[in-house]
Amino acid sequence: MKPAEKKHIRLRIIIVGSIFSLFFTAIGAKAVYLQVFRGSWLSQKAADQYEFSCRSYGKRGTIYDTNLKELAISIDVTSIAAHPPKIKNTRAIAKQLSKILKINRKSLVRKLASNKKFVWIKRKVTPKEAGAIRKLKIAGVDFIPEHKRFYPNKTLAAQVLGFTNIDDHGLEGIEFYYNKYLQGSASNYTILKDALGRGFDADKVTGSNYSGNNLILTIDSVIEYITEKALEEAVKKFSAKSGMAIVMAPKTGAILALAHYPFFNPNAKNNFTQKIWRNRVITDAFEPGSTMKIFAAASAIETGNCSPNSIFYCENGAYKVGNHVIHDTHEHGWLSLQQIIKYSSNIGAVKFSAITGSKSLYKTLRDFGFGAKTGMDCPGETAGILAPYNQWTKVDTGAISFGQGISVSALQLISATSAIANKGVLMKPYIVQAITDQNGQLIKSFSPKKMKRVISEKTAGALATIMKSVITEGGTGVNAALEGHSVCGKTGTAQKIGEQGKYAQGKYISSFIGFLPEKMPKTVILVVIDEPEKQHYGSIVAAPVFKKIARKTFDYMNIRPKNKTDKLIVSLKGKARG
Amino acid sequence: MSPRKTLKDIRKPNKTLLLIIFMTIFLTEFLFFTWCRVQTIGAGYEISKETKHHQDLITLKNNLKVELARLKSPERIAKIAKNQLGLITPTREQMIIIP
Repeated sequence: MKPAEKKHIRLRIIIVGSIFSLFFTAIGAKAVYLQVFRGSWLSQKAADQYEFSCRSYGKRGTIYDTNLKELAISIDVTSIAAHPPKIKNTRAIAKQLSKILKINRKSLVRKLASNKKFVWIKRKVTPKEAGAIRKLKIAGVDFIPEHKRFYPNKTLAAQVLGFTNIDDHGLEGIEFYYNKYLQGSASNYTILKDALGRGFDADKVTGSNYSGNNLILTIDSVIEYITEKALEEAVKKFSAKSGMAIVMAPKTGAILALAHYPFFNPNAKNNFTQKIWRNRVITDAFEPGSTMKIFAAASAIETGNCSPNSIFYCENGAYKVGNHVIHDTHEHGWLSLQQIIKYSSNIGAVKFSAITGSKSLYKTLRDFGFGAKTGMDCPGETAGILAPYNQWTKVDTGAISFGQGISVSALQLISATSAIANKGVLMKPYIVQAITDQNGQLIKSFSPKKMKRVISEKTAGALATIMKSVITEGGTGVNAALEGHSVCGKTGTAQKIGEQGKYAQGKYISSFIGFLPEKMPKTVILVVIDEPEKQHYGSIVAAPVFKKIARKTFDYMNIRPKNKTDKLIVSLKGKARG
Repeated sequence: MSPRKTLKDIRKPNKTLLLIIFMTIFLTEFLFFTWCRVQTIGAGYEISKETKHHQDLITLKNNLKVELARLKSPERIAKIAKNQLGLITPTREQMIIIP
């Protein structure tokens, strides 16, 4: 080879080598840049193409009654969503979807044509709707598993249970109060997808680990049903505006039933007004009327100023206190304290309260829990209204003794009466007895809580005897008498205050509160009927409801009447077989 | 007669044979790796399928629980007892005392 030729080849080699070196340097630099500086970003970008992360929420815990019957449960449902960038024929798809889901087509078109990455089409659809849409196999339409609250007993204890919103957050009642226990926690998990976009090999699936805790209530669904049925019948019979009833175990303060009428179905809460949702037993205060006389009598006896046999002149039906004239429904002359309660004499109550004095009366009423929240585990509790005794006028002491000028909640009234039934010891009312986890393991339990001794055992015994006399012949509560059981009770008929702040004509609250059996009370029952039209006396409107509830509840609880030694559960029309 | 192998030829391994062995090992390993990946993906699909089946069964169980709770509702039972079976709540007189 000639030297010139050799030199030319070497030059070519150098040139080619330089070009290649340049290229390799550029590639190397780019590789370093991608691997070192953009490595994590690119890895994430790649992972995004074959992985997708999901966030799921655990199921809300179940609410059980005292016998572990489900009152509120969560069911699995499907929600329909869309990824608008993946949707092609927007109008045609919107037409198909709106027809199946019965939603507005124009708004759906707007949603599907939007720039958003994710839009809800319809949440918590029926299985039929979800199935129909699945069959269409539309790319970009997603099926998201969710949970929905369901109340299998529909209206049963609805105001107590409350309800949740579409995102499963408690909004009312127990659902709201115990939301942090009931609500499931959120979990994130990753699913790999193949080239066809099919998901596989989920590293974590939605499971029970994220479910919320369960609540066990003190409510007995059978007693609740008995109470609601009896209440419904009475409200309908007397064309009343509404009604409420409570059944409580006096020894523990446990609420066995808490009923409202009109009912509402939390499965279709939007069909009912907000007024009906409310747990009025807790939230509403009202003037109790003559049921308050038993607490005024408790004050009179406890302070030692009177005994059940102390006698008072009842002025033959009209008595002037200051500028006000107090009336009785029937004219009475001399009556003992016991008879004053039995015949429900307002004048008698005014007279024995005058002896007791406003300070003692106020103290006793405060001890019984009036004017303060009971602290029961339900939201929105009212404290009622009980003004300090130094603000009372002369007539106030008398009026409060027969249940005017004081506002109480139904819960306060039944708690206070339970204290009498419980030999003078006030218990804290409660509605949740335990919280368990998803596997039924106990997390927290609530035991009966003694608040304080309100009156002596002797005074409580004397009051029980007085209240028993109310149910005897001639007493106002005779309609509550239950064969075979000694019932103690008191009727109440209170005029309602109208919108102008004065007592409204023809508008009453009829009530009856009582407990049975006298010696070892098992239940305290309060019935309150608001604005009955045909009759308004507590003895006629509310006392029979008490009787009905007490009778059926005792049959259910297997508490036999005194003159019976066994019970028959049901009877059958026609001949027995087998 | 084949030419006599020199000492150098005997000591030096056959390059082609080595290449074949190396390629065989490499291919075997490659095929094994591919088989493992395919198996993994297949198992992933199986797991997804079984998980879905499991979820479906849980859903079914939950639905049955809901149905049972609905069927046990006191209102429904009272209605059946009253209307279908003709049962009534016994009065005190109807109660039989067994000594």
